[in-house]
Amino acid sequence: METLASFFAGWQSFITENGPDFAAALWVTIRISLFSVVCGIGLGFLAELGRRIFPWLRTPVACYVEFFRGTPLLIQLYLLYYGGPRLGIVLDAEPAGMLGMSLYAAAYFCEIFRAGFDSIPEGQREAAHCLGIRPWRRLWRIELPQMAQIVLPPSVNQIITLIKDSAVLSIITVAELTKTATRIMNISFEIVMPLCLLALLYWFISEAVAMASNRLEARLTRHMAR
Amino acid sequence: MEESIVPAISIRDVHKHFGPHEVLQGIDMNVMPQEVVCLIGPSGSGKSTLLRCVNFLEVYDGGEILVDGALMGYEIQYDGTRRRASEERIRESRRDLGMVFQHFNLWPHMTVMENVTEALVSVAGKTKSEAQKIGIKCLERVGMAEKNASYPAQLSGGQQQRVAIARALAMEPRIMLFDEPTSALDPELVGDVLQVMRKLAAEGMTMLIVTHEMGFAAEVADRVVFMEGGRVVEEGPPDKLFHNPESPRFAAFLKSWTQRNGQTV
Repeated sequence: METLASFFAGWQSFITENGPDFAAALWVTIRISLFSVVCGIGLGFLAELGRRIFPWLRTPVACYVEFFRGTPLLIQLYLLYYGGPRLGIVLDAEPAGMLGMSLYAAAYFCEIFRAGFDSIPEGQREAAHCLGIRPWRRLWRIELPQMAQIVLPPSVNQIITLIKDSAVLSIITVAELTKTATRIMNISFEIVMPLCLLALLYWFISEAVAMASNRLEARLTRHMAR
Repeated sequence: MEESIVPAISIRDVHKHFGPHEVLQGIDMNVMPQEVVCLIGPSGSGKSTLLRCVNFLEVYDGGEILVDGALMGYEIQYDGTRRRASEERIRESRRDLGMVFQHFNLWPHMTVMENVTEALVSVAGKTKSEAQKIGIKCLERVGMAEKNASYPAQLSGGQQQRVAIARALAMEPRIMLFDEPTSALDPELVGDVLQVMRKLAAEGMTMLIVTHEMGFAAEVADRVVFMEGGRVVEEGPPDKLFHNPESPRFAAFLKSWTQRNGQTV
């Protein structure tokens, strides 16, 4: 009884003391993740579409994808944040983090979209050709709606991975969740509570993303055999 | 006398390579307006490839294909050489052609009605309600009107193929191309699709049909063309062709078909 009471008391004082810091850090993590997911999806889609339309873009896009998928995000961020100024790219920690994460995410999303485009049988495009449907209309009405359900599960995986990868931003001093938790650990010498809370918060964001995607998936697959 | 009528499709010395392999080795053939021509032959004879060259889904690399007198897929330049026409031009040339595929190629995320009306709205510029009026008429022609709200996955293969025919008809093509329209169907579903095609033929639609349905070809075609190895081996009216084949190759093809099916054409 005694220990249980002190356990709760410990958490209570920990939360009262550090709650606002964690809340602020949670917002930073969500903000950065959201930005890099949106930009990553946009850039990745454009890159994939570009290399489908213009053959000369194939090699540059392939190099881009190979570099950003093949090297650790940590190194990419170091290069951007500490190496950037040498090339005249001077960014604060958070914008640098957002940019780095977006470029990193775009490489993965580009490949996800490639699989999405490839999954649509050629015959469906041929049917559109034969009816005189223009490429943009075909993309919008025939390819994208079907791709959506195919790219959704891998995209959700990628989004959750990205959110967790955003912890790496702590090494370029962005005050996101992991950085904040580490800082509090260093000040308070408390180990378990900050880490538990940290894990819980990441888990909370990931779960929210997964739930949203389940709803979306149900909507997208409503035409499948009922 | 035939010279004065412009053929609906005129194929002249058409060649096509897939890498080093020449799948079409100089095809000459005409399809006259309102004529029904069936292309038959063993697999790999090039008949589907030829059909796909007619609407430029496949690029032919020698000879010419004229649809209603206009060159398909190429533009003649000032110096007399030709180059691939713009996509816009190719789209324009395809307007007269309706295409039906072996695997239907319906868009699975759209209802039957949406499949049929998509091009009416986006290509022919109809309003949604106009398009639906036309759509329901086309679906009635193939006996699928009551399924207009279904999704393709809820239909049998035969029903899907009839919807695919309605989708092509909606654009009011003057010529219909059929690429083995019944080959992917269970035997008991073939009849409905053939019935729809019979009706189209009776209404005077110009049709070029790649098929393995010899009975159908014998009954409906005005002319049957037998292809093998990328060449036209024999052609003529079905009565003459099926009962009096001239070439030994076609005679052998007919014989093996008769043995497999236990009946003559």
